[in-house]
Amino acid sequence: MFGLGTFQYDDDGFRRCSVTGLDIHRSAEDMVKLFGVTAIVALAVGGVFAVFVALTRWELVGLLGPADFYTYLSMHAWNLLIFWMVFMEIAILYVGGPFVLGRKLPLKNVAKAAYAVMLGGAVLINVSIWLTEQPDQAPLLTSYAPLPSSSWFYLGVVIFLTGALVAAIPFLTTIWKEKRENPGKTLPLVTFGAFVTSIVAAEAIVGGLITYVPTYFWRIGVLAHIDPLWYRQMYWIIGHGSQQINLLAMISVWYFMTHVVGGAEVASEKVSRAAFVLYLFFINMGAAHHLMSDPGVSTAWRVWNTSYAAYGAVIASMIHAFAIPAGLEVGRRKRGEGGGVLGWLWSAPWKDPGFSSTVMSIVLFGFLGGTTGVMMGQMQLNMTWHNTLATVGHFHATVALGTTLAFMGLGYYVLRLVFGREWILKPVAMVQPYLYAGAMSIVVLMMMYLGILYGIPRRHPSVTDIPGTDFDFAAAEPLFIVFGVAALVAILGGALFVVAAVGTLVAGGKYDGALPVEAPTAFGSETPVPDGGGDGTGPGSGDGTAPDGRDSTASDGGVDATASAGQGTAESEATDAEESSPPWYDDAAHHALSMRGTFVMTLVFLGTFVVLWALNWYLLSQLWQVG
Amino acid sequence: MESPIEPPEGDWWSEKVNRRETIWLGISGLWAMTLFGWMAGWTQFGEQNQTGETLDVPPERYREKVSAYKDAGTDSERGLIPAGEDVYVGAMRYAFDGLPAVLETGREYTFHLGTYDVQHGFSVRQEETLSKQLSLQMLPGYEWLVPMQFDEPGTYHVVCNEFCGTGHRTMHAKFDVVEDLSAVESADASDSGGGEPAGDGSGASGDYGGWFTGDARGGEVPNYDESTTDATGSDAVTVTVGPDGNFTFDPPAVRVSAGTTVTFEWESDTHNVLVERQPEGANWGGHEAIENSGFSFEHTFETPGVYAYYCNPHLSLGMKGVVEVV
Repeated sequence: MFGLGTFQYDDDGFRRCSVTGLDIHRSAEDMVKLFGVTAIVALAVGGVFAVFVALTRWELVGLLGPADFYTYLSMHAWNLLIFWMVFMEIAILYVGGPFVLGRKLPLKNVAKAAYAVMLGGAVLINVSIWLTEQPDQAPLLTSYAPLPSSSWFYLGVVIFLTGALVAAIPFLTTIWKEKRENPGKTLPLVTFGAFVTSIVAAEAIVGGLITYVPTYFWRIGVLAHIDPLWYRQMYWIIGHGSQQINLLAMISVWYFMTHVVGGAEVASEKVSRAAFVLYLFFINMGAAHHLMSDPGVSTAWRVWNTSYAAYGAVIASMIHAFAIPAGLEVGRRKRGEGGGVLGWLWSAPWKDPGFSSTVMSIVLFGFLGGTTGVMMGQMQLNMTWHNTLATVGHFHATVALGTTLAFMGLGYYVLRLVFGREWILKPVAMVQPYLYAGAMSIVVLMMMYLGILYGIPRRHPSVTDIPGTDFDFAAAEPLFIVFGVAALVAILGGALFVVAAVGTLVAGGKYDGALPVEAPTAFGSETPVPDGGGDGTGPGSGDGTAPDGRDSTASDGGVDATASAGQGTAESEATDAEESSPPWYDDAAHHALSMRGTFVMTLVFLGTFVVLWALNWYLLSQLWQVG
Repeated sequence: MESPIEPPEGDWWSEKVNRRETIWLGISGLWAMTLFGWMAGWTQFGEQNQTGETLDVPPERYREKVSAYKDAGTDSERGLIPAGEDVYVGAMRYAFDGLPAVLETGREYTFHLGTYDVQHGFSVRQEETLSKQLSLQMLPGYEWLVPMQFDEPGTYHVVCNEFCGTGHRTMHAKFDVVEDLSAVESADASDSGGGEPAGDGSGASGDYGGWFTGDARGGEVPNYDESTTDATGSDAVTVTVGPDGNFTFDPPAVRVSAGTTVTFEWESDTHNVLVERQPEGANWGGHEAIENSGFSFEHTFETPGVYAYYCNPHLSLGMKGVVEVV
């Protein structure tokens, strides 16, 4: 497609990926390219508008007046929160389904039609926002009725959502066919994650249609009245649900990328899959936290829904927070890549932007996005977060740090493995994730401080000078300066990704690398590990290569490993021995390998979480009596 | 090798889970229970819970309730002193009806939160300590009764933090909390005036004392091009209030002969007409109540001079006007 790819397909339209060992069919690959490139275009468009938004809120510059600000802010929100994400997520479904299962994309024409409908909807939404005229208002992300926006906007949303729903059909058909042909076979974990993603997505999108179809009829005058409470409750099914799609797609990408680039294995299939099932049942209730400071829902409704069955979804996220680094830890320990508590992490391919993006996405999502999401989802704490800039900080931590970084990391490998092109500007590609993640982290922290400590409202073009009143938030000015500078650096970091990606697409040389997982750093290059580590030759053959790798190298390592595995229920501390004389490939069962590095890191995470949580409750307790 | 992109082999469900991963599962479960328990417990032992009764009240009806509340209260220099323990706040683009108010420390008030038009936010903070702030949603059609009690005297600023239109950021009000309300009442009684400032409108023709610029109260008037519409001689003149949803009077400045009746016609919602200044001896009262599209009132101007007026909710957006009587 586009003549941008470099791979050849065989007569059946398949090719075998030299890195992942996946059999990829052209029909699926073309659509992944199409959706992926469109997503990157949306990222670029949304990023341009980010410049204007940041330079307006940084009032030293104060670029835009109110009317323009709201238009630009709406463009920023829809292109980044919706179009960049959803187009990428459809691509991820087609990777997680047809790619991983080695199948054709069924109903290719349906996929093409869905793409056209989504694109049409996206263009219509952008144009209608851009041409907003009084008394219509820019919709921002929420388009809260009864504040009117252009009727074309609501129609655009209905069209876009319909397209996204249809785009999931070829994916679901893939799963259907796979299960019909191989009823006894378990789906690979990434496919399972993508499958849960598609169900959560479908729920969100149907909710969105139930919201926006009547809202459209209200706007064109067919319905006389729209209840704002009903609108809020229904809107957030799609408003937050779309972000839950991001979360699940991102986690599937985490499993995929840590494996492909870092050599991670699955620590426990049972635990990781159980976490996805928890998401399936509970994550959509997470949207309820948007109504915590609303008049329309009862206290019991609010406490139950924010606790949603004792935090089913929060537990799921905490499971992934352990399982993914643990998978990386055991995968790397197995191949002798680093001992000690965290040696396996230091030895990782940090210069590879695919790896660094993914790991920073995991860490920053957890520390900055996850913790704050749980806190603002507590009914009473929500009062101090609701509609302040801190809320914006939270979702930039989840979406701009977590999901965007993960998708950038994936994007680097889509360029290599789907388009078959080696990155140009490699030093830029190496630095870009660090620049973006570092600066965006500062932006996010500043937003949170500004919101919680100064109560800065989220949707104001100016707060240090408010027309018509002596009151202002000028005390917060120093933090806004840090915010403004960091925002510009972050946008630069994002722009460098677009430059590297587009440059690679047009000018990158052919990529024919075998294995991005570097040869174990401690043991030179004569090893057969690439075969074993990559394990890329398709189902069934993996088990054959791994023992080879072990046999051909340190036998004492093998003995050690066998010993530790043999102890069975005996403690995993036994694996300490393996650090002193690491084997080439430790074939011990995963549960018998040490996960102590991950355990230490997750305890640090929990400690941070508890401290932040306690500080937030302390701040709340300083307020006057309410209720 | 257990790869996430290959089907797991064998009986993966029965495979043992690493001890540390099991411990982490336990920790996660305990933490979730703690979060839940604390939140549920705080509704019992905590002092900050945004809970209260919600009534279904159409915006029109809510406007009447706020109006009745204002009539029952006592006006003071610093704001309205409520007659009882109920405090009504009616949000509209872009003002809070019912505020400013003066409240007393240590008394439990019931805040009634509602809006006349679109969704708004009731975001309150203490002037001295901005981190002491909270935020509640206000929806048209719903009246939310939230009890609040203040122990620290001072000024509390209210801003709207739900996007309600281009003038959103200008939506600000405040209330004062004092230790002794009776002191405020008696101070006010000795200072009998309190209404509109007395006029010195006579000499300020032409630019009307800068009334249309941003130097005067409120913002610059967007539709004033430094010319006054001359309607001298005609005996019926109309001023449109909020034409096409804009926050303006049209024409912004009109010159009429003494004895002319001017009609103000509402073309959009939530506007009023307050008199900033008028000639000595004139007693035009404007129209203080907030009215919606379709409403109109008229006044016959007898005393020559400049009558400067404005719409209170939209003063900061420059919704100001002048009737010049010659």
